[in-house]
Amino acid sequence: MTVSTSPSAPDLIAALGSSWFGAGLPPETVARLAAIAVLQAVEAGDEVTREGQITEALSIVLSGRVALRMLVPERGMVTILTVEPGDVVGWSAIVSPHRATSTAIAIEPVTLVELPGERLRALLRTDHALAASLYPRVLQVVSRRLSATRMQLLDLFAREEWGRKDETSW
Amino acid sequence: MVNDERMPYAPYPAPTGTAVAAPPTPVASAHGSGPWFLARDNLGVLIDLLREGGRTVIGPRVMDGAVVYGEIRSVDELPAGIGDEQSPGKYGLVDGQHRRVFDYAVGPISPKRWTFPPVVPLHVGRRDGKAVTFEPAPIDAPPLAFLGVRACELAALGIQDRVFLGGPYTDEDYRARRRNALVVAVNCTTAASTCFCTSMGTGPEVRGGFDLALTELDEGFLLRAGSREGADLVTHLPVRGADAGQLFRAAEVVGKVAATMGDPVPTAGLHDRLLAQFDSPQWARIAERCLSCANCTMVCPTCFCSSVTQRSDLDGEVSTSDRVWDFCFTAGFAKVAGGNFRSRPRDRYRQWLTHKFATWVDQFGSFGCVGCGRCIAWCPVGIDIRAELMAIAPPLAAWSEPTRPRPVAATPGSFATARIVSVRNETADVTTLTLGDVDTALLAGEFGQFAMVTVPAFPPLPISISRFGRDTIDLTIRAAGPATAAIIGLGPRDEIGIRGPLGTSWPIERAMGHDVVIVTGGIGLAPLRPLIDGLLAQRDRFDAIRLYYGARTQVDQLYREEIRGWAARGDIDVQLIVDRATPDWNGPVGVVTNLFDHATWDGSRSLAFVCGPERMMEATVEQLEERGLSPDRIFVTLERHMECGIGLCGHCQTGGLFVCRDGPVFSLSQLGGIFGREGI
Repeated sequence: MTVSTSPSAPDLIAALGSSWFGAGLPPETVARLAAIAVLQAVEAGDEVTREGQITEALSIVLSGRVALRMLVPERGMVTILTVEPGDVVGWSAIVSPHRATSTAIAIEPVTLVELPGERLRALLRTDHALAASLYPRVLQVVSRRLSATRMQLLDLFAREEWGRKDETSW
Repeated sequence: MVNDERMPYAPYPAPTGTAVAAPPTPVASAHGSGPWFLARDNLGVLIDLLREGGRTVIGPRVMDGAVVYGEIRSVDELPAGIGDEQSPGKYGLVDGQHRRVFDYAVGPISPKRWTFPPVVPLHVGRRDGKAVTFEPAPIDAPPLAFLGVRACELAALGIQDRVFLGGPYTDEDYRARRRNALVVAVNCTTAASTCFCTSMGTGPEVRGGFDLALTELDEGFLLRAGSREGADLVTHLPVRGADAGQLFRAAEVVGKVAATMGDPVPTAGLHDRLLAQFDSPQWARIAERCLSCANCTMVCPTCFCSSVTQRSDLDGEVSTSDRVWDFCFTAGFAKVAGGNFRSRPRDRYRQWLTHKFATWVDQFGSFGCVGCGRCIAWCPVGIDIRAELMAIAPPLAAWSEPTRPRPVAATPGSFATARIVSVRNETADVTTLTLGDVDTALLAGEFGQFAMVTVPAFPPLPISISRFGRDTIDLTIRAAGPATAAIIGLGPRDEIGIRGPLGTSWPIERAMGHDVVIVTGGIGLAPLRPLIDGLLAQRDRFDAIRLYYGARTQVDQLYREEIRGWAARGDIDVQLIVDRATPDWNGPVGVVTNLFDHATWDGSRSLAFVCGPERMMEATVEQLEERGLSPDRIFVTLERHMECGIGLCGHCQTGGLFVCRDGPVFSLSQLGGIFGREGI
């Protein structure tokens, strides 16, 4: 079950500004985002996004761990990555076609600052200064995730398997 | 023969432009102090005299279309009237204009074949039940006399003397062979088009390191002695004092030879110039021609890289280890269990050339090239090292030898033994052996050092020491092939052979009063475990300690119980992450840098110790630097093919550094541009 609360604007500004994601944004942007933000408490096991469905919000994790999972037939839900406090879940809320690329599930109690997608997109269309500061930050999040995924793809700790294929006397 | 009376080899390389060095100090003898004259017809007397003294004479003779060194029983076997023509990729014999016997330039074989033979037995390993023994092979160094050794070859012997006898470890086989070899040198009266000793400051006139030196004239030989033994030989030869005309003609002909060579490879600043060109496009161009055949290294009189191979009886009870020539051009030379650090010919060529003309200077204080030109003539595709050096045009601070514990059984032929106390399976393919009855040198090892570990019939393996107990050490080993399988398969009370501790260590003392960040992955935790033990043993001397450990899956984590114990202490922040999540894993999933890329700690107060696959370390270093850690406070380890453990076999050379001796622990600033660079 997810519980939404609407704390005072100064509290939201402080929470957002002190997160890793928010700390990389100008104060005016943080203030404007806080104006549309909602604080969410997510219970362990609850979904934040579902793969293939419309992403309703871009969220910043304040506490707790969110797993990004993909469904693989016959293997079930496979965890690709975990999102730790400070990072973002639901960047697809601002990237067309706004469908989630994975299922995000809270694996422990999680607190999020949620920026509802429709309002956020409207803001980005009209407020170019905000857009100019938010997009590079989101792009940074996505590029880090891309680099990390490539590293995982290299399967660096599986060298013993290479060793077997590549005959050695060691 | 090596003794104190022989002229010490001149400082090398000589400053360019200096004239040939002064002749050897005259040695008093019954015939006066020389130089003497030996008539052509009496050269045989010298050969007979050497043979009568019990020496095998190794001199020039024609074989397989080349002038090569081989046993000389009579003066008639010398290549009288034979000359040679050499150019890049070409060698041929011609009828000489004179009936001189030394009228050729150097052939493909150098005295190295006898002083550093292609195969030398090192030791015999035996297994008797649970006990193992390693008995050094007897040294067989017959008395030899080299005849016809050229100035460049004397310089090459001087270079190998530095390599094998210059310390801190010495090669006793080489020492015996050198001690038992008498040297009759010859001043060059002809040069091939491939010769460039003038550039390397080694010739064409011999300057020391000989017992006797000849200069050939039409009517005979001018003779000088360079040692007491040489002078003693002169007293038994039919010689007379040389006249002024002979002295003049001898000096003239050698001077002319020098003039024909000129100075094709100016060496001033070559070290720095070359090291600045790791990325030169020329390496790839050379590789289009280079066959990686290793001919250049085989004919080179100074190349000394080697490997150790095992010859075992069928049941593996008795095995002989041989030291064999190996070459940085061979495909497997820089190979480790997970890959090959120099898989491309361009990387191997660069390794060879930069070692010869740059990193050799850092290692031994001289160039590794004497300008004999063999690698030019005997290259099947005619690559001319002189032209390549000029086409490629560097900076590495000179390293200083740190003081470290002296290893037990330092040299590759010797092993101490230790007894396995217990065996523990860490993961499906990683095992920790606890060893007792270990030499105190090993117990005194430093955190991060490694040992060479072996059982008879298998090649020795570099294994990092994963714990220093009060009277035991731990080795954590991952199964990679037959040798690791043989070691892992041993049980309590079995013995193994061990040499060490070797290499550098984590500088724990520098971390006192600072925050410590440890980032590691996979089996990389093993060399860090002693450091963690050390940090926790003196916990109050360090500020925050953070351990970030990545593994493939949960079951691939090493020391799981211990890690739990560390985390439970509360005074060290332990964070684990896996690449592949299993259903029972609720912790973080992703790469190890995910554990701290959103963290709030300040890197400027920290020292970082990083060990894992190289790509993992690169990504980690990037994050750490972003966080404010300077390169001199980030320490990483490199994994390379290590065999000798003392910087002599050549496999693990990485730029100017030897991973076994200067590493495996390096500061990032020490590695500079080498870290993460392909093919070094």
